Amino acid sequence: MKKDNNIDKITRKEAIQKMGKYAALTAVGTFVILNPLKAQSSSPPDPGGDPFD
Amino acid sequence: MNTNLAPTYKKLFGENWILWFALSNSYSIIEPEFNLLLESYLKSSSNADFSTMISNNINVLESESISETLFNYLKDCNKPYISPEIDSIVLDTSKRHISKQYDFKGQTIQIYYDTELVLKTVHPALSYYCTEIKNEVSATFDIYLKNDDLFLFKDQQLISQVSKHKYHLMQGKFIMQLLCTLHNKEENDWIGTFHGSTVTDGNSSILFVGNSGKGKSTLCALLTANGFDLLADDVSPMLSEDNEIYYNPSAISIKQGAFNLLEPLVSNFKDIPIVKFNKTKGNLKYIPCTKPKKDHYPCRSIILVNYKVKSETKLEPISVKTILETIIPDSWLSPNPLHAKQFLDWLATLEIYQLTYSDTQSVTNEISKLFKQLNKKV
Repeated sequence: MKKDNNIDKITRKEAIQKMGKYAALTAVGTFVILNPLKAQSSSPPDPGGDPFD
Repeated sequence: MNTNLAPTYKKLFGENWILWFALSNSYSIIEPEFNLLLESYLKSSSNADFSTMISNNINVLESESISETLFNYLKDCNKPYISPEIDSIVLDTSKRHISKQYDFKGQTIQIYYDTELVLKTVHPALSYYCTEIKNEVSATFDIYLKNDDLFLFKDQQLISQVSKHKYHLMQGKFIMQLLCTLHNKEENDWIGTFHGSTVTDGNSSILFVGNSGKGKSTLCALLTANGFDLLADDVSPMLSEDNEIYYNPSAISIKQGAFNLLEPLVSNFKDIPIVKFNKTKGNLKYIPCTKPKKDHYPCRSIILVNYKVKSETKLEPISVKTILETIIPDSWLSPNPLHAKQFLDWLATLEIYQLTYSDTQSVTNEISKLFKQLNKKV
């Protein structure tokens, strides 16, 4: 198991080296975080379309 | 390092990874290079260890900056999810000015409203089920406005209290509770309610999503006029027990902009009463639809709808990233880890497309073709 982890580590290291400096520095800026609604909802009103205004 | 911040689940979709974090119930989409750095970071024992791992062509300062970005990313992905709390407020029965009963083939729902304006938040989409015959009721709802807040009670229990300007949240809660009553389920039985409309051909179903005004409901109205059945308009619920989308009895809401297009295609469209509710949406019509044979169908495809005047009908595969960016922020997804896993596993089975259309006949043909293709795969 330990051996496998080492192989994993070496493979990852090699992959990071292969990626190169520029790719590694830009890669960390490329993520998306999405949060679902905390409660069920139907379609929200369009801007200015609130009937309770 | 910081393994307590690691994602609970991760799944590979094409080149991208989708991660799910239990603490925040958030989903993150990352590219393979990011994944490699993140894995290395999480498996390193310290910042120094991580620095060694990536050091050959990156200097210490750059490595520290990457390490900090990854840590901040993980912190953002782990902002605790706090469920909205509900106060215990006693039902004010003096608000029961309007009484309506709705008969959903055997199950009767009683709703009390305080005013005509409040009635318009829920009643028009269900008006086809309204009945004068007094039956034994399965559930009683009260919806009223008090001190600028909208209250929703089910069997005298407060379900939702929101500012009147957030009436769509009350509508969402109402639909959830209605679905629970009709399908004999609890709220925690559902994986989520997707913001989109679902149509079935009697074998499987397709979920249509897209921003407001992109023609989801119009397309569903077209399809139901051409032999398909509406399973759910606007709110498409998925149950954990079988990963299927369930019937939502709300009628299809159509904005005035689509009246001319649908008039020659939907029978008796002219006779459907106009509902004036919302200034920008203008006049609305609610098209009643025949209930599909079954209450639920497996969903095998998601289509991002894009109505474009004079465009050719085009159905093109798109990435799971694009579809998740559309669906997740507008849908309620259960924070239960089992449900999140089911959602990700289901996503992996789907065919995902963008549909651009304007011509009604060719779009119907295209969807028929897709249904045939989906059914063949099973």
